[in-house]
Amino acid sequence: YASMPEYNQTGFSTYYATTCRECAAGCGLILRTFEGRAIKAEGNPNHPVNRGKLCQRGLTSVQGLYNPDRIREPRKAAGRGSGNFIDIAWDEALNTVSNLLGGDPKSVAFLMGYQPDHLYDLVKEITDAMGAPAPVRYGALGMFEARATLIEAMRQITGQAGLPFFDLGNADLVFSFGANFLETWLSPLAYSRGYGNLRQGTPGKRGYLVSFEARQSVTSSVADEWIPLIPGSEGVVAAAIGRLIAEINGQAIPTAFATVDLAQAVEQSGVSEEKLHHLAYLFARAEKPLALPGGAALSHTTGLMTARAILALNAIKESSLIRLAAADDSAASLQDVQALVNRMNQGEIHTLFIHSLNPVFELPAALGFSDALKKVKAIVSFAAFPDETSVLSDWTLPDHTGLESFGYQRVLTGSDRPALSALQPVVVPLYNTRATADVLLEAARMRGGALAAAAAYQDEVDFIQQKIRPYIGAGGFYTAPEILTFWSSWLQYGGWWKAQPEPIQVDLKRALEESLPVAAPVSIGRDKFRFHTYPTQMGDGSGANRPWLQETPDPMTTVMWNSWIEIHPETAAKLGLRDDDVVKVSSSAGELEASVYLYPAIRPDTVAIPFGQGHTALGRFAEARGANPAALFEVQMNEVGDLAYGDLQVSITPTGKRRPLARYESREGVYGDHAG
Amino acid sequence: MAEQEAKKWGLVIDLDRCSGCQACVTACSMENNIPFTGEDEVAYGRGMHWIRVQRYWTGAYPDVKPDRTPAMCQQCGNAPCEPVCPVFASVHSEEEQINLQVYNRCIGTRYCANNCPYIARNFNWFDYEIPAPMNYYLNPDVTVRRRGVMEKCTFCVQRIKHGEDVAAAQGRALEDGEVMTACQQACPTDAIVFGDLSDPNSRASQLARSERGYHLLEELGTLPRVTYLKGGGYYGG
Repeated sequence: YASMPEYNQTGFSTYYATTCRECAAGCGLILRTFEGRAIKAEGNPNHPVNRGKLCQRGLTSVQGLYNPDRIREPRKAAGRGSGNFIDIAWDEALNTVSNLLGGDPKSVAFLMGYQPDHLYDLVKEITDAMGAPAPVRYGALGMFEARATLIEAMRQITGQAGLPFFDLGNADLVFSFGANFLETWLSPLAYSRGYGNLRQGTPGKRGYLVSFEARQSVTSSVADEWIPLIPGSEGVVAAAIGRLIAEINGQAIPTAFATVDLAQAVEQSGVSEEKLHHLAYLFARAEKPLALPGGAALSHTTGLMTARAILALNAIKESSLIRLAAADDSAASLQDVQALVNRMNQGEIHTLFIHSLNPVFELPAALGFSDALKKVKAIVSFAAFPDETSVLSDWTLPDHTGLESFGYQRVLTGSDRPALSALQPVVVPLYNTRATADVLLEAARMRGGALAAAAAYQDEVDFIQQKIRPYIGAGGFYTAPEILTFWSSWLQYGGWWKAQPEPIQVDLKRALEESLPVAAPVSIGRDKFRFHTYPTQMGDGSGANRPWLQETPDPMTTVMWNSWIEIHPETAAKLGLRDDDVVKVSSSAGELEASVYLYPAIRPDTVAIPFGQGHTALGRFAEARGANPAALFEVQMNEVGDLAYGDLQVSITPTGKRRPLARYESREGVYGDHAG
Repeated sequence: MAEQEAKKWGLVIDLDRCSGCQACVTACSMENNIPFTGEDEVAYGRGMHWIRVQRYWTGAYPDVKPDRTPAMCQQCGNAPCEPVCPVFASVHSEEEQINLQVYNRCIGTRYCANNCPYIARNFNWFDYEIPAPMNYYLNPDVTVRRRGVMEKCTFCVQRIKHGEDVAAAQGRALEDGEVMTACQQACPTDAIVFGDLSDPNSRASQLARSERGYHLLEELGTLPRVTYLKGGGYYGG
């Protein structure tokens, strides 16, 4: 340099394309690295899911990679739950896993998260070869969006099980029934992009958004109309609107809406008849309307019927905006997890492997997972962080974090074309961690026999290469004569997808043809409040150890570093509560304490607590901060076996204590007030 | 000091697209080595966010909704923070025509912050610890500030410089859209557009001319460089 640039260091950055592992959406990342360090996560501009955009969780993934509290060595517990661990060598770890895989196959269980997909596929092959039960796939985000219910509703209506993709960007009217698609629902970046286009994507035409939910979420907060209906009445409202649309259009009333009683719908939902007529008119008049079945609507005992009623609303206007990108029904319901817990309790599970899931934190405490763990002889956690489950495990064999890993993630929803997203390490693994796929392959090889035959892959990369081989000739935007050339493009672009949109349109007609008995919402108990909870930027709670996720203000309350309970100001006045007063919240299942936030945008009969805080482990940034609403959930399920958390009712008792929340909107506090 | 040259970097923020999700806040922090301060400090208003999403509740239940404005340094053409700095730490950069903070001049009088009508400036009250190995992700293009200095949004000047260097090395002019600020790059709804406002054909210029456009506290004569596009209100028109 003749003249050194004023602001820049000399040296070049290297950019790697990979896939975000903070949730299961499978967004493409470009990681900027500099001298072997991962500097910044950015969106992959070519990726069909996020097109260069990125949310808070993805942006802070480097704070996961470089988290000071990571597990650095494989270790075993010196007495389960004692909190003391002894570092072990990987040879010992491999021997252990190999021995455990050799036990009675029926007594071996795998519990996994929604990502990464390649590991799920490998484990499925291994369990099939062993004759063990298939891995159970679950997680808090799926629990809150009632994944299994949505998949089952699609199966019943279209015959194909899978998560639908809703083309928001090309709609002109969106009815969102409890779908907080701007924060966490299914594929938040794909739907946020869609939202931007809904508003300003078509010159001269601004899409209109109506949101139905008891507590105003970020999505409702930008909606043109927010309808705070009685939670659990979403299906009733959808069916009533459906019937009115048929009437407006002069159509025969479809079977699905035949039993609708308008007066009853008004009473059950708290939405006026005038409003229902107005909404039906909006929907009937729209050219490309869309109705979204969100988690808050499906998480009631009548969730499946609600999902069908909302999807039927799309059918009545013959929507072409709903597509099935990929069939996949690997998401388990809470019922499946409960079956596993029952087997654990009966002593049928000798070995439990856990990956990408923190069941002790994420599952309803009332499910009794922690107690059931005591009946399991050997627990192996592959967690990279000392989470609540890994500290109760016998062995923690840390996997690499997402940014140090190979893999792939199927794009189930969020893309207008078939896509498979690629993961590759952007830095050399920091610590003595090992890819779980490699651990399992090696352990299976050591076992020999059928297991070794099933695991006849050299290593994780070989497994991935064999799995993506069919994509060479599948008409993607690049191709190659053989796998290694294909592999280099795969890594360079961060995955494989088609050059053009290729929708698998679904026919929802059947939703209209069958009768739909939508039941009334549960009535509210004396001195009780309806309880709502929702995942935030902390995702399934694993984000709580990222300091910048903690210090990014919540979009609605601007609270940072803690959790709070949202109470309508009128309700709070009746209870004699002010901002920052601490209340005890109790359900039949448990109780917790939280500071009050006077929230003007919630039904007066409803209270809400965000999900993601209240960790007792997970490192310095997460621990002893806020409360975990999973303590309150009763094990009550809908028809598909998803948690009916929307039907939960709680009582509120003032404690007389006060603990100020750190909020961006006001500055209050005394040093030490936020401790503990 | 008022502007002399024509080159004008500017931001346009479309509030009709903005969902208020805060991805811009996180993106800015990760790009610009902004320290996290912890619950106590941030409760006192000593958080270091260079961009914040202002949120005011409007209306009464059930017609209540938050009114949101992502706000950062408006890079005033006529900046109130500049003339009050006794040591010329708050200066107008001649080259990029934006307002910059010279950290090694700053002596921490905080006059600039007092005089900023947009509350866009943050003061480092402490040296904030970023525990190892978390310091690995620090951006080598951005100075790590220490206790006692003022800081604020720079329109990602390191990215402007980098873009200009790359274009100069290839012997061409900088293209519109080539330089993206971190907030724009992350914005999930594509609400933020950065560009050269002196080029009437740049995307930012075109958007800034929209009839929905307005500036924050325009009447103060600060010549803000951030244009907001009003949200909501009409349908099908």
